[in-house]
Amino acid sequence: MRSRTLLLPAASLAAAALLAGCAMGGGSSAAPVVLDPDAKVSDEITVWSWDVAATALERLGAEFEADHPGTTVNVVDVGYDNAYDKLSVGLQAGSGLPDVVTIETDRAPGYINEFPAGFVDLTPVLGDAEADFDPFKWSAQSDADGALKVAPWDSGTVGLFFRSDYFVDAGIDPAAIETWDDVVSAGETIKQTTGHTLLSLDVATGAGFQMLLQQQGQGLFDDEGDITITSPEAVEALTLLQTMNEKGLLKNVKGWDGRVTSAKDGDSAVTPEAVWWIGTLLGDAPELSGTYGVTELPAFEIGGVRTSNSGGSGLAVPAQAENPQLAAAFVEYALADADRQASMMEHEGLFPSYLPALQGDYFHEPQEYFGGQPVYELFAEQTANIPPITFTTDNAEASDIVANAVVAAVLNGADPESALQDAAEQIATATGREIAGE
Amino acid sequence: MVASPLAGRRPATKESGRRTLARRLQRPGVWFVLPAALLLVIFFTYPLVTSLWQSFFATSGGVTSWVGLEQYARLFADPLIGKSLANAALILIVQVPLMIALAVGLAYLLNQSWLRFRGGFRLFAFLPAVTTLVAYAVVFRVMLATDGGAVNQVFAVFGVEPVDWLNNEWWARVALIAAITWRWTGYNMVIILAGLQSIPAELYEAARIDGAGRWQIFTRIVIPQLRPVLIFTTVTSTIGALQLFDENYILTEGGPNDATLTPVLYLYKVGFRQFDFGYASAIAWLLVVLTAVIAIIQFRLMREKK
Amino acid sequence: MSVTSTLTSVNPRTTDARDSRPAGAGPALRRGILRAPVYLLLAVTSVLAVVPFLWMVVASTHPTSELFGTPLPVLPGGELWANLARLQESVNFSQVMLNSLGIAVIYTVFSSIVSIMCGYGLATYRFRGRGILLGVVLVTMMIPMQVLLVPLFQMMASAGWIDSYQAVILPFLANAFGIFLMRQGFLDFPVSLIEAARIDGASEFRTFYRIVLPVARPQIAALVIYTFISQWNAFIWPLLMLNTEDRYTVPVALNTMIGMSRVDYSGLMLGSLLATLPLMLLFLVFQKQFVSGLLGGAVKG
Repeated sequence: MRSRTLLLPAASLAAAALLAGCAMGGGSSAAPVVLDPDAKVSDEITVWSWDVAATALERLGAEFEADHPGTTVNVVDVGYDNAYDKLSVGLQAGSGLPDVVTIETDRAPGYINEFPAGFVDLTPVLGDAEADFDPFKWSAQSDADGALKVAPWDSGTVGLFFRSDYFVDAGIDPAAIETWDDVVSAGETIKQTTGHTLLSLDVATGAGFQMLLQQQGQGLFDDEGDITITSPEAVEALTLLQTMNEKGLLKNVKGWDGRVTSAKDGDSAVTPEAVWWIGTLLGDAPELSGTYGVTELPAFEIGGVRTSNSGGSGLAVPAQAENPQLAAAFVEYALADADRQASMMEHEGLFPSYLPALQGDYFHEPQEYFGGQPVYELFAEQTANIPPITFTTDNAEASDIVANAVVAAVLNGADPESALQDAAEQIATATGREIAGE
Repeated sequence: MVASPLAGRRPATKESGRRTLARRLQRPGVWFVLPAALLLVIFFTYPLVTSLWQSFFATSGGVTSWVGLEQYARLFADPLIGKSLANAALILIVQVPLMIALAVGLAYLLNQSWLRFRGGFRLFAFLPAVTTLVAYAVVFRVMLATDGGAVNQVFAVFGVEPVDWLNNEWWARVALIAAITWRWTGYNMVIILAGLQSIPAELYEAARIDGAGRWQIFTRIVIPQLRPVLIFTTVTSTIGALQLFDENYILTEGGPNDATLTPVLYLYKVGFRQFDFGYASAIAWLLVVLTAVIAIIQFRLMREKK
Repeated sequence: MSVTSTLTSVNPRTTDARDSRPAGAGPALRRGILRAPVYLLLAVTSVLAVVPFLWMVVASTHPTSELFGTPLPVLPGGELWANLARLQESVNFSQVMLNSLGIAVIYTVFSSIVSIMCGYGLATYRFRGRGILLGVVLVTMMIPMQVLLVPLFQMMASAGWIDSYQAVILPFLANAFGIFLMRQGFLDFPVSLIEAARIDGASEFRTFYRIVLPVARPQIAALVIYTFISQWNAFIWPLLMLNTEDRYTVPVALNTMIGMSRVDYSGLMLGSLLATLPLMLLFLVFQKQFVSGLLGGAVKG
């Protein structure tokens, strides 16, 4: 009797469970939201972002409200990194997400592919401006059918930061650095003359390897979805990292704080990193002002691509948004506008992926920290050259396996080719995909 | 010599031949557990059922389909399951006994009446348990940094070569075990300390009259009397080891080369990075079964001999 | 009355009453030699436990740019007030501390009551469904929380509770660890006490309230400390539930100080340090329950 009274609420909740169970898996039951580019917008939206990105959107939100009477833009700083837990749970649960969310470029393909009904197609609003955006970002943040799901915001254009004082001491002209081979031999000279290592890397994440891969126009998969990490380009990239380590030029560090520490300690004669690294240097290593310069990323062979991508982010409108029209209008207002994108560079250090914004005067100004070099000019020129690569639903899983191959080759001295072959086979087993060229 | 005081301390309801009392006590028993039972039913029926239900489905590219027991079959073919379970087993076998022994020893010492500055020592030992995770991560990475990290600097004083704590597979495991022990020993100490308080003084007196020495008192009075509390700390630490997530997530993210990958960190990656919630649920229920088996063994092993 | 006499006979005491006996000069010296290693051991343990905290103190008085790079600062710097001002400005720290305090106090009070009652019920009484309930308690401990987050989130969303404190507090009010802790604590509870009270004609609840609770004070103190900390440091669930910065708890707010290309480590360290103060205070207050002589006032009245 008594146990029966306890079972009653249990039974009713189980029934509720079955009902709610329909919502699991991204809420594909609802009709997709189709944006009307000419709709009149009103009411209120909530935007999730983090850090300086939230600051920027708060500033532009106030401007938007002034330009569009009757609208309210609430920006919430939900924190970086763990914000993805909020996003994942909200998408999976089919509820609880705001009108606009911030997603990094590296993470965007995973969300777009796994939650095809999770985000509003932004093409009706932004499609006309496609040619004005960083092409890599546009493709990485669109789905397989070319529908833009995450609007490109700041770019992760990569250049080569270098310690000009070390180069002077070692008698090397940074302008003469054209290929990775040049960098390695410069690194040997710098190590001999100054005692400093060439570069610091958090090897275990495998991020450095993927950056070198993208530089050569490759992702972990090709357009057919086959695994490409056994390609000669991939072997070359991994061999490069292994060579650096064997020559004692590589310093393996752990985590974000480890990277900042090694920069401050002068253990990185060069740092191949995205333009946002400038903000880190300015903020966390002010004492190194005047010792840094920037050049293009060295090519694998003369005439090759001299940039890549690392990080950057975009804005998306979840399908569950209560006010997708206003959300899309705000996204367009903030991102597809040269002056506003440029203002985010000036105020918050977010480097635009909207190419017209890169024409502004700000990008030609000499930067005191870099000894008067107008470093943004270089990044502005390279942004349109970032090679687009293909992402699949299995990128997250493959990245973990590739990271282990990088550790095996770079730290444990395994042969790069066989390490990558092993990794490719593991990915093939785990995902059921083919290895390209086999 | 300890048998007589113990005899009267078993719950009356456990004794046979007292059915009347047991029946009389049914009703109040239900009332005492009712709030907890209702809360558990209301808030955990749906999540538990859903997570089990989900493990029979697979989602890829937004399409969910029934796959029966396929996710469970996958568990056996997945090398990362084996590897993460082996890592968890290492922690279970090395770290849990180490920590509990430390906690019992500390609690016993900190319970001595002659000890001066007892409150201070207790607070210090307990401090690690109150650290926020975010500070814990930063502090440990700073201390364990290969170059210039505090630990390696202390080692250097003794002429020991710097250890590559977080990048070497075995040292990363050692560092992880040290970090978990640092964080949780004081917490277990507090629980054991509370347990020590409920040992009646007369037991010590009786033992002493029988001529028992310090060590005999410790092994024959203290340890048996702490049995329920020791079961609690052992079972919860076992669960903690099998569900290890925070420490390795923030220190190594499971690396290098999956040397510190644990089942729950793997589950998190599968669910929250690869969005394969079906498989994540299957891993979770595998863990429930494994933990339950181990816990039952522990309950049996630690049950007092009659 | 009979209860009193029973109680005094099981009066828990700090162990080793032998040492309270008067001793001559010889034993005192011997004792000193025996005790010196104990103090040394405890001193080493304390240093190991406290050093990371001292570094947090040092770190919270420097600007972030001084925290990295070799050598690390070992002495306090002069940036404490600047860090504090920035902490307050960027995450409204005083507000989130109040939020955390409110949530943790309410949670601790109610969750402890639930745990104590349930643990006592499970340990003392026989009733139908007891085994099942204990099993459910253990399973909720054994299942990784990660797979419960999404369905639990759905429940909160359909109840319209997202961004509310009841969503943070209610689902975990029945704390399996707490229930299990109390069950184990009451398992060896002296039944003679309960029976003595029954003979006196006290009701079950009165017995529980007047007799059982006072004797179980050390265990309850451990429970309260554990429960408060678990809520105070809870991260993932409050993160998922709270969507308004002014409603954040301390861990959620501190997490927002980690940015994409900048991390405010000084602020983080200071915030974390301040966040441990209430816990230290709580511990100092409640650890007094771990000292002998608990029952003095409990049986009167």
